[in-house]
Amino acid sequence: MSAPLAIRSTPIAQETAPRMPVVSVEGLKAYYRTDHFGVKRLVRAVDDVTFEVRRDEIYGLAGESGAGKTTLTKTLTGAVRPPLQIVGGTIAFSFLPGTQGLHCAPPPEVSRVRWRHLSYIMQGSMSVLNPVRRVRSSFEDFAFRHMELSRRGFDAAVRAHLARMQLEPNVLVAYPHELSGGMRQRISIALATICRPELIIADEPTTAVDVIVQKDVLAMIRSSQKEMGSSVLLVTHDMGVHAYLSDRLGIMHAGRLVEEGRSEEILARPRHPYTRHLISSLLRIGDDTPRRGLEGSPPNLADPPPGCRFHPRCPLAMDVCRREVPPFTVHGPDHRVACFAVTPEARP
Amino acid sequence: MTLARILRHLLRYSTEFRLGVILLGVVAILAALSFASPYPPLDVYVVAPDVPPSRAHVFGTTSRGQDVFWQLTVAVRNTLLFGIAVAFLSRILSLVIGLISGYKGGWIDRVLMSLNDTFIIIPLFPLLMLFYFVMRDSMTWAMLALIMSFLGWAYDARLIRSVVMSLKRREFTQTGIFSGMTTREILMREHMPHVMPIVFSTTMNNINWSIGLEVTLSVLGFTDNNTPTIGGMIFWANQHSAMVAGVWWWIAFPVAVVVMTFVGLFCLALSMNEYIDPRSRWSRMSGGSA
Repeated sequence: MSAPLAIRSTPIAQETAPRMPVVSVEGLKAYYRTDHFGVKRLVRAVDDVTFEVRRDEIYGLAGESGAGKTTLTKTLTGAVRPPLQIVGGTIAFSFLPGTQGLHCAPPPEVSRVRWRHLSYIMQGSMSVLNPVRRVRSSFEDFAFRHMELSRRGFDAAVRAHLARMQLEPNVLVAYPHELSGGMRQRISIALATICRPELIIADEPTTAVDVIVQKDVLAMIRSSQKEMGSSVLLVTHDMGVHAYLSDRLGIMHAGRLVEEGRSEEILARPRHPYTRHLISSLLRIGDDTPRRGLEGSPPNLADPPPGCRFHPRCPLAMDVCRREVPPFTVHGPDHRVACFAVTPEARP
Repeated sequence: MTLARILRHLLRYSTEFRLGVILLGVVAILAALSFASPYPPLDVYVVAPDVPPSRAHVFGTTSRGQDVFWQLTVAVRNTLLFGIAVAFLSRILSLVIGLISGYKGGWIDRVLMSLNDTFIIIPLFPLLMLFYFVMRDSMTWAMLALIMSFLGWAYDARLIRSVVMSLKRREFTQTGIFSGMTTREILMREHMPHVMPIVFSTTMNNINWSIGLEVTLSVLGFTDNNTPTIGGMIFWANQHSAMVAGVWWWIAFPVAVVVMTFVGLFCLALSMNEYIDPRSRWSRMSGGSA
C-alpha cells in the first residue's frame, strides 16, 4: 500500500494495552484451491484478515453468507483440510506460544489446546450429542480426556458444571431425542465450556431455534463467559444476536474485514457503506418504513473484483475503489474502517 | 429401551417374531439334546437298520444303522454352529471393512470397495465347488466355515459403509474429531451403536444364507461328509437311495428341521427389520393406521 495510514485519534495500542489478546490474527489468507479435470479454481474465502479477540470479551463476526466467516472459524480451530489452504498470515494464541496457528501446530499440542483452552460450539450445536448415546456418554467421550480427573471426579465436575449452567443433573441419563432443541443446545454449550476454556469459538450457535430459546441460549453464553472470564468469538450473520451479545464487532464482506469497532458504536454509527446497509436492513419496533435491499449479489470469490470488493454494489464507489484495496483507517477509539469514500485521507 | 423390554414388546406385537422364536426354540432344543445322545454320532450299525418311526426310534433308523432322531440332533447342532460361525466371522469382516471404508473415504475406500465389489460379483457356488476339488480332504467343517465367511461379508460391508458415510458428516463426529478422539474411538463408540441394529438383522439373513449353501454343497457331496450335518444326512440318504427304498423318514425329518430353521430365522430377520425401521414400528404401535 502506497499511502500511509491516516491516524486520527489515539492509536489502538495505547487504549488496549492492559487487555491482552487471547488470539490475534494477522493478515490471514485462507484459500480453497481446487483442480477438477485441469480446471483450476482459487477461491479467496478469507483474504488478508487482521483482528484480535481480547481477554474477557465477546467479539462478534458478522457478514452475509459466503463472506468467509465459516472458513475463518475452520482455520482458527485448525480444521484445515484440502482444498482449504492457508496461504499466508499468522494466528497467535496466548495459550499456544511459538506457533502460527493450530493448523501448523504439532498434533500433541493441538490435542492439548483443544477443549481445554480453545473450545468450539459448532453450527447446528443441537446435533453435537450422539442420538443413540446418553448425554453422560457424550460428556465422557468428548470431555473426559481433557480433564485429568478420575471417573468419579469427572462425574462430580460434570454435575457441578451443569448446576452452574442451571441444568438438571438428570439430563445426563437422557437420550438427546428425549430433550427439547433448546435443552440440547444448552447441554452442548455446557459440554463445550466444561474445561473453562480461554477462548470459545461459537459458529452460528443459535440457528434453528426459535427466538425464545435463542434468548435463553444467548443469556447462557453471556453468563458463562462472564463467570469464567473467557473470550468468545461469536460468528453469526444475525445482527440481532450481535446487538444482544457482542462487545466488539467485525464486519466481513467477501473474505475481507471491512469495519471493526465497539458494537454499540457500529450499530449506532456505521461508517462503511456495506455496514450501513447491513444495519439499515434491521427491523426496529415502531419503524415501519420499507427496507431497501442491496442491489446485486456478493462477488464471486473465485474471481473477485479488483480493488475494494464491495465497489460493484457500492453507492459511493469512486474510481480509486476499482483500482486499490482500501487500507484500514482509525475512526475514534477502537473503530476502524476500510473505505476510501468515508476516509478521503486514505486515498493514494 | 432395555433389551428385555424390546423382546417383550416384540413378542407381544409381532406375529413373525413369535413364530420365529417358537420355530428356532424347537430347533435349539433339538440341538441341545445332542449332548444326551445315547449313540456316538459317527458310529454306524448301532441299531437295526431301516426301522420306520416307532416308540423305540421316534424318527426311525437309517440304512446305515443309525437312529435318525439322535443323528438329527447332532446334525442340527453342527449346522447351526456352522451358520453362527460364518455369520460371526463375516460380521466382523463386514463391520471392520464397512466402518473403515465409510469413515476414511478416499483411496482406502476405493481399494476396499473394489475388493468388496469383486466379492459381490464372484459366483459363489462354482467357487466353493472348486475349493472342494482343490482341497479335498483338507476341506473340513471349520475350513468351509472360514471360506464362507470370507465370501459372505461384502453386501453388508457396503450397507455399513453407506451408514457411516452419512454419520461422518454429522456434528457429533466433528465434535469427536475436535475433541481429539482417535479414528478407532470414533468408530467404536460413536458409530458402532448406529450400525449394530443393521448388523443384528443381517446376521439372521447371513446364517440362513450360509446354512443354505452348506446344505446344498453337502447334499451334492462337495463337503466333508464325516461331520454330521443336515445336508450330510440327506447326502447319505441319497447315497442309499432312501426314497427308492421307501426309507422316507431318513430324508423327511432332516428336511423338516432345516425348513423350520429357515422359516424361523427369516421371521426373526423380518420382525427385526420392521422393528429397526421406525416407520413400520410406528405403524405397528399405532395399530397399523399410520
